[in-house]
Amino acid sequence: MSEDAGAGKRDHSALEERMGFFYIGEEAAPDGEDVAVVVAAGEIDFAASPQLKERIAEHVDAGRRRLLLDLSTVTFIDSTAIGVLMGAEMRVRELDGGWLALVCGDENRRVLRILEIAGIDSLIDVHRSREEGLSALAAAG
Amino acid sequence: MTGERTVTDGIASELRLPAQASELAAAREYAHEAAAAFGLDDDRCYEFAFAVNEAVTNAIRHGRPDEHGDIHLSVRADADRLTFAVRDCGTFAASTFDRVTSSERGRGFALMARLMDAVQLCAAPGSTTVRLSKLACESQLSAGLGV
Repeated sequence: MSEDAGAGKRDHSALEERMGFFYIGEEAAPDGEDVAVVVAAGEIDFAASPQLKERIAEHVDAGRRRLLLDLSTVTFIDSTAIGVLMGAEMRVRELDGGWLALVCGDENRRVLRILEIAGIDSLIDVHRSREEGLSALAAAG
Repeated sequence: MTGERTVTDGIASELRLPAQASELAAAREYAHEAAAAFGLDDDRCYEFAFAVNEAVTNAIRHGRPDEHGDIHLSVRADADRLTFAVRDCGTFAASTFDRVTSSERGRGFALMARLMDAVQLCAAPGSTTVRLSKLACESQLSAGLGV
């Protein structure tokens, strides 16, 4: 595996096995200029969470008030990442029509469990599929 | 792995890691592998990796490394439990902890406590150690821990 394999657009499946791998990118948002779909993969620890925070802030600063953050292929999430998610929720909540939808599939029970014991699922809208999350965003707009 | 790992007698090992965020993955790998070596199932290994990651994160953010710039990790097995220790050379101030219980640091401790059977904080001048333990179940006592 070459070191620059991370440049591959969405070919991160093999890289997920690599220690400390983290990926963040955007996917096409279906409707509205104020919607963004952000996909994260790998491990979101204290080394990676500032990148997540920055990326979310960039979207909000650019006027994208409705954010979907897909964590389905995230393999690890720590307290600093939880803090970023809570901060993002507080930030979009202040905006008129602002909405944050997290997506984490049922198969990703480890990340779901951390979200649950951190109490995130009672503070932030968490969906089990991308479609569900996008419906919630559409309804928010 | 950039840290220096030593195995002393088969029931305990130690790892020194540079106090940098980029080393957290190595801390998680160490915890996961060591827990697996003691016969813990994958879920329990993951819980240890999570808790050790939180403790090392705290040490990096709020503690102080040794003279070589390292944080110390170790694992030991007792008859009834497996314990990871994360030590830094900072002096833990309880008064600051009171103010941060609702912050990320407090959240990290709360999550550790949820996933471990015991979380112990030992604070002395120039030495802060967090001990993270899980009680062993019967099968692991006989199989993994070799007691």
